[in-house]
Amino acid sequence: MSRPKSVDNEVSRWRFWLVALLLLSLAGLLVGRLVLLQVLDQDRGASFLREQGAMRAVRTAEIPAYRGLVTDRRGEPLAVSTPVVSVWANPQQLRDSNRLGELASALEISERGLRERIDLYADKQFMYLARHQTPDRARKILNLGVAGVRSEREYQRFYPAGEVVAQIVGLTNVDGTGISGVEMAYDEWLQGQPGRRRYIKDLHGDAVRDIGVVQEAVSGKPLALSIDLRLQYMQHRELQRAMVETGAKAGAAVTIDAWTGEILAMTNHPVFNPNSREGFDYAATRNRVVTDVFEPGSTMKPITLVAALESGKFTIDTMIDTSPGRIRVEGKVFPDPRNYGEITLSRVIEKSSQVGVTKIAQQLGHEPILSVFRRFGFGEPSSIGFPGERSGILPERARWSGVEEATLAFGYGLTATPLQMAHAYSVFANRGQKVPLTLVKRLPGESVPAEVVVSPDVAADVLQVLHRVTGEHGTAGKARVAGFEVGGKTGTVHKVGPGGYIDDQYVALFVGLAPIEDPRYVTAIVVDDPKGDSYGGGAAAAPIYARIGEGILRLQNVAPTSAQEPEAQAQLAGLGGGV
Amino acid sequence: MRQSSKTNLAGSLLGVFIVVSALGLIYSSHLCRGFYAQLQDLEANRWALQEDYSRLLLEHSTLASPHRVARIASEDLDMEKPLLDPARVLDSSAVKRVAE
Repeated sequence: MSRPKSVDNEVSRWRFWLVALLLLSLAGLLVGRLVLLQVLDQDRGASFLREQGAMRAVRTAEIPAYRGLVTDRRGEPLAVSTPVVSVWANPQQLRDSNRLGELASALEISERGLRERIDLYADKQFMYLARHQTPDRARKILNLGVAGVRSEREYQRFYPAGEVVAQIVGLTNVDGTGISGVEMAYDEWLQGQPGRRRYIKDLHGDAVRDIGVVQEAVSGKPLALSIDLRLQYMQHRELQRAMVETGAKAGAAVTIDAWTGEILAMTNHPVFNPNSREGFDYAATRNRVVTDVFEPGSTMKPITLVAALESGKFTIDTMIDTSPGRIRVEGKVFPDPRNYGEITLSRVIEKSSQVGVTKIAQQLGHEPILSVFRRFGFGEPSSIGFPGERSGILPERARWSGVEEATLAFGYGLTATPLQMAHAYSVFANRGQKVPLTLVKRLPGESVPAEVVVSPDVAADVLQVLHRVTGEHGTAGKARVAGFEVGGKTGTVHKVGPGGYIDDQYVALFVGLAPIEDPRYVTAIVVDDPKGDSYGGGAAAAPIYARIGEGILRLQNVAPTSAQEPEAQAQLAGLGGGV
Repeated sequence: MRQSSKTNLAGSLLGVFIVVSALGLIYSSHLCRGFYAQLQDLEANRWALQEDYSRLLLEHSTLASPHRVARIASEDLDMEKPLLDPARVLDSSAVKRVAE
């Protein structure tokens, strides 16, 4: 207290400033370091640290996208995505759990089995316990609350119509990508965009807090096919029945609406169940209507007839001498079942006379016939873009022998799919116009670009002949549909084996149009290797058409021609009088 | 003198702004959390509805499958396909005439 006040003050002042400066510079250092680490973007600086933090705590989860619904033309579901839950676990946490017994019984497996599976993933952080469970079942497992067991939402495809449309709709793999059929062809359309959300997890991997949605999931778009499930089901049933009756190895049938080019039904044998992958037969997943080619045989004769009529050398009433019932071309003999004598060109097709058609081919040469085949769409794929679709082959030769010319005219030496056959015949139904095919429902009022392939007169002539084929002189009496007038053409071809044509194995064919007065529905039927005596197109394939055709006309509300109108009017008049 | 009071006023105004915007930030992040919780509720809801919808869709198409309909019609209800013989096609003009 005795020291002078001023000195005391001076000393304490510089001490004060020194200490203050030291402390301030320490604080400055800290702030500087903080700025370096958290604000400035330098090596191991702000962004690096943020990244490291996020790597330890922030996770991104996928939000599954809803796959679009596939329906038939009237909205009946054919492929439906249903929410399912996949249960997974961290084996590291599960290993030492004392609740494995409970968990195993909820999973409906043995505890030993579960332990073995956990051991299999001993060095992993992730294993599925049960994939694609119904929400109810998954809840049962999750409600146990076993530590380390978690779930993830997914979608699974169900096919309510089952085997009836299995080959058309196709399949998706376990990750929801289309791998066959429409599912594959329209995968981009059906598939949505999966979204992403970010969340913060704790040490055990459980979500603590959601940060937010990074990207919303976008649902896939629905797709309405041109298929009519009622027709499809009816055609499926009749084809399966026929397969049993004929003992055939395989079969295919397709019905198209000639006016719009829409495919209404497309069925195959053998079939498979798309909802179960057990005992899966890969061959049965093939949509034979578009993936299998065969020689069309006599079903090509009406197309050859077009070439004959267009040449101007023939009308359907031109007389052709088919006696003595066989014809020799360069050492090869083509026989008819019997000697038909001198018959009209129309009758040649009705009887499916090889001799008659060979004579036409000899007069025409191969060029006009091939050009007509090309115009009718043979040798090129249709516009439906179905996976695995084949285009068939039209022969290309520098030099044509007489045998090759003749066989071309009656449908050997080229290949086609059942769909191509139906498409070709639809030209006759459309009065000479070819309408592009589609497997997707056309919009009402949608304009369809049609291509004129033959003149309306020629188409009308061929229709008349096709009608007569189902008449009393024709080969397809069994294709007749009670109450209606139909038309069509049969075909029987030898199957091709490793050593050429096989003598006792056939493919029976029929292509039909109905109703013949105003044809709209075209059906092609292929029966592969029918057993027994009824192996021909007229015996094996035509009766199937009779049943399918009847079903189509009934389901499409086409009025039977046999129901007499005058009589109906008289009855109606009587009714009116009564009132 | 006037200069400094002006500065003071501006300073305190800015201070108030800072406090207000801080409170606004707190409030908006509170709202954001609330909305996100709501979004999650709605998503859970959508999931549940989708579950129901697809189940109903499957049930519907099982019940309405042509196979089942055909079986019930023929077996339980003794129905058969209409015969062609008694069928008559009515001309729409004739129907009109009677209606008149």
